[in-house]
Amino acid sequence: MTSKMSKLLASAALVAAPFLATTAVADGHGDDLTYILVSHAPDSDSWWNTVKNGIALAGEQLDVTVEYRNPPTGDLADMARIIEQAAASQPDGIITTLADFDVLSGPIREAVDQGIDVIIMNSGTPEQTREVGALMFVGQPEYDAGLAAGQRAKDDGVESFVCVNHVISNAVVAERCRGFADGLGIDLGESMIDAGQDPSEIKNRVTAYLNANPETDAILTLGPVSADPTILAVEEMGIAGDIYFGTFDLGDNIVAGIKDGTIQWGIDQQPFLQAYLPVVVLANYDRYGVLPGNNINSGPGFVTADGLEMVEKFAGEYR
Amino acid sequence: MADVSHTDERIKQTSRLRQALIRPELGGIVGTVAVFVFFFLFAHDSGMFNAQGVMNWSVVSAQFMIIAVGACLLMIAGEFDLSVGSMIGFAGMMIAIFGVTYELPMWIAILITFAICIAFGALNGYIVVKTGLPSFIVTLATLFILRGFTIFIPQTLERKTIIGGIREAAEGDWLAAVFGAKIGKPIFQWLGDAGVISTFERGSRIGEPVVDGIPMLIIWALGLVIFGHWLLTRTRFGNWIFASGGDADAARNSGVPVTAVKIKMFMFTAFCATVFAVCQVMEFGSAGADRGLLKEFEAIIAVVIGGALLTGGYGSVIGAALGALIFGVVQQGLFFAGVESSLFRVFLGVILLAAVILNTYIRRIITGER
Amino acid sequence: MSEPIIQMKNIEKHFGSVIALAGVSVDIFPGECHCLLGDNGAGKSTFIKTMSGVHKPTKGEIVFDGKPMNFARPRNAMAAGIATVHQHLAMIPLMSVSRNFFMGNEPIRKIGPIRLFDHEHANTVTMEAMKKMGINLRGPDQAVGTLSGGERQTVAISRAVHFGAKVLILDEPTSALGVRQTSNVLATIDKVRKEGVAVVFITHNVRHALAVGDRFTVLNRGTTLGTAKKGEITAEELQDMMAGGQELAVLEGSLGGTV
Repeated sequence: MTSKMSKLLASAALVAAPFLATTAVADGHGDDLTYILVSHAPDSDSWWNTVKNGIALAGEQLDVTVEYRNPPTGDLADMARIIEQAAASQPDGIITTLADFDVLSGPIREAVDQGIDVIIMNSGTPEQTREVGALMFVGQPEYDAGLAAGQRAKDDGVESFVCVNHVISNAVVAERCRGFADGLGIDLGESMIDAGQDPSEIKNRVTAYLNANPETDAILTLGPVSADPTILAVEEMGIAGDIYFGTFDLGDNIVAGIKDGTIQWGIDQQPFLQAYLPVVVLANYDRYGVLPGNNINSGPGFVTADGLEMVEKFAGEYR
Repeated sequence: MADVSHTDERIKQTSRLRQALIRPELGGIVGTVAVFVFFFLFAHDSGMFNAQGVMNWSVVSAQFMIIAVGACLLMIAGEFDLSVGSMIGFAGMMIAIFGVTYELPMWIAILITFAICIAFGALNGYIVVKTGLPSFIVTLATLFILRGFTIFIPQTLERKTIIGGIREAAEGDWLAAVFGAKIGKPIFQWLGDAGVISTFERGSRIGEPVVDGIPMLIIWALGLVIFGHWLLTRTRFGNWIFASGGDADAARNSGVPVTAVKIKMFMFTAFCATVFAVCQVMEFGSAGADRGLLKEFEAIIAVVIGGALLTGGYGSVIGAALGALIFGVVQQGLFFAGVESSLFRVFLGVILLAAVILNTYIRRIITGER
Repeated sequence: MSEPIIQMKNIEKHFGSVIALAGVSVDIFPGECHCLLGDNGAGKSTFIKTMSGVHKPTKGEIVFDGKPMNFARPRNAMAAGIATVHQHLAMIPLMSVSRNFFMGNEPIRKIGPIRLFDHEHANTVTMEAMKKMGINLRGPDQAVGTLSGGERQTVAISRAVHFGAKVLILDEPTSALGVRQTSNVLATIDKVRKEGVAVVFITHNVRHALAVGDRFTVLNRGTTLGTAKKGEITAEELQDMMAGGQELAVLEGSLGGTV
């Protein structure tokens, strides 16, 4: 009974929360600082939860107002509108991804030219960051991360691989596969498969590919969306632990996979830092005028079976 | 006409209020007022009503309007088109393929794209009227077919799913400007200089107003709304649209060419989707395989909020335009108001449900059902 | 007595191996109401569809206005002045009376090359036509859905007459109506007949037929037993002919001749 009651109260608080946030924003102008983070992720992408928690924590610690916005379907044209809209609401800073330079560079540049400080996070390159006039880039250089992973795999004796890509339309993410192939010293060729977003489809496609290409040494997945079904696929095929399996990003299942030996390593780009650090940088820049002199690489950090404790504890929340 | 000699005592004299109630635009008008009052109260100091904010939700609403006009006329004619979103992605990709990959002059690329997309619209219509299958299913098939091509073609030709460089390829092209240019720049510059609109503080465009013109997208939206409203209410063809959707057999018996009307409406819907796509690629300079996802539902939602009946035969283009305005203002306004963005869907669902219930009530009044 | 406007001579219509009409001859005269009676499946609807150009007769000849008639499509028949009013498929409830009235025949007002729907003209004509038929509208924009079944039939009939119908085929206009609405429709038929239009009134209700009919033809199993003039035949005889002269005779007593 009490638990029911508390659940009820909790959900009431949950419903009320956004409206409370509304009032906070309305009152917050003036002495308070407001930063808006715009991502390219659709609502369904759970990986971005860490980012949401990252800015929320930074906002709390630094006593600034933070907001998270994203295009519901992941349509980048909609994202461009959200950036324009964010600029129109005159925040002190915008933190955004640069998933497609053509589409997003215009709105970002306009925001910069209006005097809004912009930090690029997660997707994009240092060159593009400079070109749109943003302060800095906080993220993982994708090609370099892929390259490092490829070199590591080569040292472990890998000669061929399949790259399971669940975001085929995101050119930046595909760089990870290219870097990996270059690290191995082989041609990417037909090794990258368009897996789609649906878990059972991804699982079936991985199974089909591995059956058709039994000589494949290694699997590279590009995030929890493709890693989770791939774990199931290799378990079902009875090759879990046999096949070399590396993945980008972390999640509950990936951590479990690393623990039981299915996955050799996960590359953590540490999204928490990608959200948390820009807020810290912007707040200190606005308050004291201090700014780090370079881009910040939040990754790659290799997570292996050693030292999983912290990862396990905060997986999905801050890791 | 006024000297009605003896009235049927069972027909109650209806009040003006009740007569106003059965206008299809009613829901749209009430909703628009309510939405603006709401956001004026909760987001008036958030930048939503400065020049840049107004331009932001106007552009988003204009996008919805363009596809809502097509969806509205088609729905009044008694059919649906679920392939609108895929058509947007497909049309954008065709322009990129012809204009960038094959390096054709941009105006030719645009015209070819219009021809291909309208042909797909005609095919949709032809299959629907000839087989008598529900348009729901036929266009669902088209949805997948077009989306598949939109991913397959660029992957085959360019080995990627986003093709950029359209803005550069369209430089100086007259037809591209019809979709991608901005008009009224001197006026906005003057407003910027006068301090009515804020100006850029730094960068290459320092001193220019933050809103430097009205995008052609908005002109197209207004133009299509006016055209659609005129077509529906002022022409013979408009009467045929109502008749085809109200009761196709009765319309046929009265000599209305129902088949032609429906096919033309499918073509018009495809035309609207292509206009949307061309404006989008001209503005952003790239075409992506995932553009336009779920836009078909957004169009239908705008039309339903605007008072059209899902069963056809009744509706209004002005209503659909207001529905699009509500949709756009709510979507962007919730951000301005600082409401958690995932709640947008909740608001949308509530508005949609309210609109459908109101529409059902209106239908009962009109048809005298009890 | 004037010449018949339509002569159907020995019409046969076969659908594959089914013989729907096996040689039917009927003459339709202007200014008269010709009642076509028959039970379900007697061939009534095949017969009127042949008359209105939907079906081509397998054998036989149709003479319209003294010339052999050969319409390729129903639209041509309509243009020549043969209009059909269907029981259910006549009006669109969600549309206004005026839009319904001019559906398919919209009046055009030209402004330069632009052709517009002339709403003013349509509204005036509709109100006048409705008043003539005794229907009081709140306004020309009143939706047809608010009219009763009988009123809808009346709108459909006056629409057909307004657009120059010489022959008006009414397909069971009274079958779904109440007593008062039926009498309204029958009164409308009477008015139309007096304007010189030939009315073909399809029904299976003998009393409705006798109320307005000038001539009566009974169809039974694809054949006709000839045409009788008003006063030459009684309700009982018509009833018997419709039922094929046998089965109903037994029930006659218990039903009291009220069928």
